[in-house]
Amino acid sequence: MGQIKYQLPPEEILAPGHFACPGCGGTLTMRYMLKALGRKVIVVIPACCWSVIDGPVPYSAAGVPVFHTAFETAASTASGVKAGLEAQGDHETTVVAFAGDGGTFDIGFQALSGAAERNEDFIYICYDNEAYMNTGIQRSSATPFGAWTTTTPAESPKAEKKKNIVEVLAAHRIPYLATASVAYPDDMIAKIQRAKDISGFRFIHVFSPCPPGWKFEPEDSIKISRMAIESRVFPLLEVFDGVDYRLSRQPAGTPVRDYIRMQGRFRHLREDQIEEIQKYVDEDWERLSVRLASTKGAEHLKKAAPQKEKESSRTKRAATKVRSRQK
Amino acid sequence: MTRYKYTTVEEMPPLAFSLESTRKIPTGSWRHVRPVYKNKTSPCEVGCPAGEKIPVYFDLVRQKKYEEAWYKILEDNPLPGVTGRVCYHPCEGQCNRKPYDEAVAIHNIERFVADKNLRNKKLPQVSETPKSEKVAVIGSGPAGLSCAYQLSRKGYRTVIFEADHEPGGMLRYGIPEYRLPKKILDKEIADIESLGVEIRMDSRIGGNVAWSELEKFDAVFVAVGAMRSRKMDVAGEGLKGVYTGVDFLRDLSTGIVPKVGRQVLVVGGGNTAIDAARSAVRLGKKATILYRRTRAEMPAVPEEIEEAEKEGVRFEFLVAPAKITGVKGKASKIELIKMKLGEPDASGRRRPVPVKGSNYTMAADTIISAIGEEPDLSFLPYSFLKKGVRLFVDDDYSTGVPGIFAGGDAATNPNGTVVNAIRAGKDAAKSIDEFLGWRTQSNGLSHDVVHPDDVNTFYFPHEKRVKVPRIAVEKSKASFTEVNRTLTEGQALDEAERCFTCGTCLHCDVCLTFCPDVAISKDKDGEYVIDYDHCKGCGICVNECPREAMELVPEGAHEVEEEAVQA
Repeated sequence: MGQIKYQLPPEEILAPGHFACPGCGGTLTMRYMLKALGRKVIVVIPACCWSVIDGPVPYSAAGVPVFHTAFETAASTASGVKAGLEAQGDHETTVVAFAGDGGTFDIGFQALSGAAERNEDFIYICYDNEAYMNTGIQRSSATPFGAWTTTTPAESPKAEKKKNIVEVLAAHRIPYLATASVAYPDDMIAKIQRAKDISGFRFIHVFSPCPPGWKFEPEDSIKISRMAIESRVFPLLEVFDGVDYRLSRQPAGTPVRDYIRMQGRFRHLREDQIEEIQKYVDEDWERLSVRLASTKGAEHLKKAAPQKEKESSRTKRAATKVRSRQK
Repeated sequence: MTRYKYTTVEEMPPLAFSLESTRKIPTGSWRHVRPVYKNKTSPCEVGCPAGEKIPVYFDLVRQKKYEEAWYKILEDNPLPGVTGRVCYHPCEGQCNRKPYDEAVAIHNIERFVADKNLRNKKLPQVSETPKSEKVAVIGSGPAGLSCAYQLSRKGYRTVIFEADHEPGGMLRYGIPEYRLPKKILDKEIADIESLGVEIRMDSRIGGNVAWSELEKFDAVFVAVGAMRSRKMDVAGEGLKGVYTGVDFLRDLSTGIVPKVGRQVLVVGGGNTAIDAARSAVRLGKKATILYRRTRAEMPAVPEEIEEAEKEGVRFEFLVAPAKITGVKGKASKIELIKMKLGEPDASGRRRPVPVKGSNYTMAADTIISAIGEEPDLSFLPYSFLKKGVRLFVDDDYSTGVPGIFAGGDAATNPNGTVVNAIRAGKDAAKSIDEFLGWRTQSNGLSHDVVHPDDVNTFYFPHEKRVKVPRIAVEKSKASFTEVNRTLTEGQALDEAERCFTCGTCLHCDVCLTFCPDVAISKDKDGEYVIDYDHCKGCGICVNECPREAMELVPEGAHEVEEEAVQA
């Protein structure tokens, strides 16, 4: 009823004055993550935009301890930090690996897979801006089909589809896996808080638009994120134990074209190429629907809609999970 | 923040670390556009002739501050209970929600607010000091009441001269009880009187009160309305059984039941015709409306036409009376001629043209002519400039005779509806105020009007417009009980929630939620503060604002503006 409003935890831990570009999605991700987890957090950041955004020595924007580490080591460093805390008897502090798509999908992939397989007890948040933005917009395996980057110029845009990191992580059978978007901050914060209450390896894949890299006006960051979700390019979901899929928000199913046409990185695409992308999105959605229908989430799918009361049942479920794990 | 415990570089471990907040870095210098909070005008405010601050009182309704909401409406309109019932609500035609799903039911909320305050006698205090000038108003219809009310709020002593026994003009004698109960009208007129407006009944200027009486006043507002039905100009109009719509409705309003036959023919397509037909139905008669154009051209409010249909009123279009014949001075037959639509006329509607030789006759003992009303200006002692049958007035409602102003249906300025009369009264009061040497503040409406595309509809899930509760048709046909009911509190609150509140900040926190630079916060009064030392001017807050209460201005523009203000 009435206007959609967000009630976020009021405390602002992230400081202004950071070095993010105007309209940065990755920075909003950090802001919401800190709101969700509070101050008892250690963040591990590999080479990525946030290596710069956090500020030059002697400044730091995060407001919590940040460990800057090498590109391929986010997951292994976070494993180490968690082990160190445990050794000191600190079971409270949450360890978060906060990495971009390059450090997650490509360069840090073996460390990520290893930590997931060992079910290391930390939260891995990948803020995905679909290319190596910090170093000058080079393609990554998260770059979508047809996109321009400096290494996939408009004459020969990226010919491969984006790596499906959700299925990769689900195959590791980690206890909690979720996708989130900066356009739905309440959903993102709820998921991060749910992740906090679960132990073991938790992975959150966040859709983080990048105005300079995707070539759109910074003011459209949220609008574009919303269109990605509503056009099913990036469905919002949760996966429990790698098998139990839950849809968080029923997308409206708007045409992919609207989303594509807002971004300069797709400007060179012809109509038939956009239709091809639409086909890929439809096929992926089809596959996801089958998966949703075949798991315990089937019941949930029918009801999945942006409604508040769903929150409680899901939270309850997550809580049961925690309890069963503790046994 | 922990301080370094090291005094020399050598003492520090071989690891770079940062303990200072980036807050010290003024990233605001990157900005070339800056977001600012700027309230704009909603289209409904522009659409309302009376200029009611609709988004503002809607917000008060949402907060359940019904008394304050009422006061907000009263600033522009002293008769919300009346307009909430009978206004043709042009505001809703402009509503930005209309292209999205359905317009917000503004007039129903207005009525709800008025009815919530039905027993509230505490009128808002007007701060202005009493003035020595006196103003006379001729006529206590909506224009006269509105003008006298606004003048008395400005501190003038105001006297209304009313020729009838009771005040209200057409509101009392032209609008039937089932649309506007007399007790609502009485209450709102009593409120106006309690502000110090004196209404002298049975005081007909040019009749028992001489025009010279008005010379004691510093200004005069002529608002006598249009109370005389226009003639059909057909033979037999004087026969018994032929009424004018105005007389028919006036009789009903004063408790006289006119003698009508079983079959009542009403000629005309305006609100008077509909009111007469629906009243005839309530007297247990069959009513047929004869209109010379088609339904699309009918000037009556569409909802009223629908209601009439529901109650069994029949419509015959493209037909006009040619002759009425009678037996022993009593009407018995009417000769009609069929019409067709020709070229558009001055009103933009297609002109009806008679079809030669298409005349036919039908039995009729009761005919009500309701083809329009005109003012009776015969009381005026000297000639005023006129246009057609109406007094010619300038945009400021002046007549050309110094100190004499006119408005409402008697004058050329917007007329024909209650709300236009209320507007005329309000604006004329402003002109009179200026004429008497006082300066009136402007209403402060910004020229930036919010368009449908400016609204971020993501934040507003589709919701159906409220269904107005009404009494069953069988019941409404049988009595003069009011047909439409007031919304329940729940309905009103739900409907008020549908309002986008275009252009007025509601402190919904969307701007603050999406700021990547943590540059928006709230001060202790709950007002937003933008930290321009750090805001990079990305514009997300402006783009995401659900209701266009923010805008991006080029960096430096505000300084130019501020200098201009100082200079």
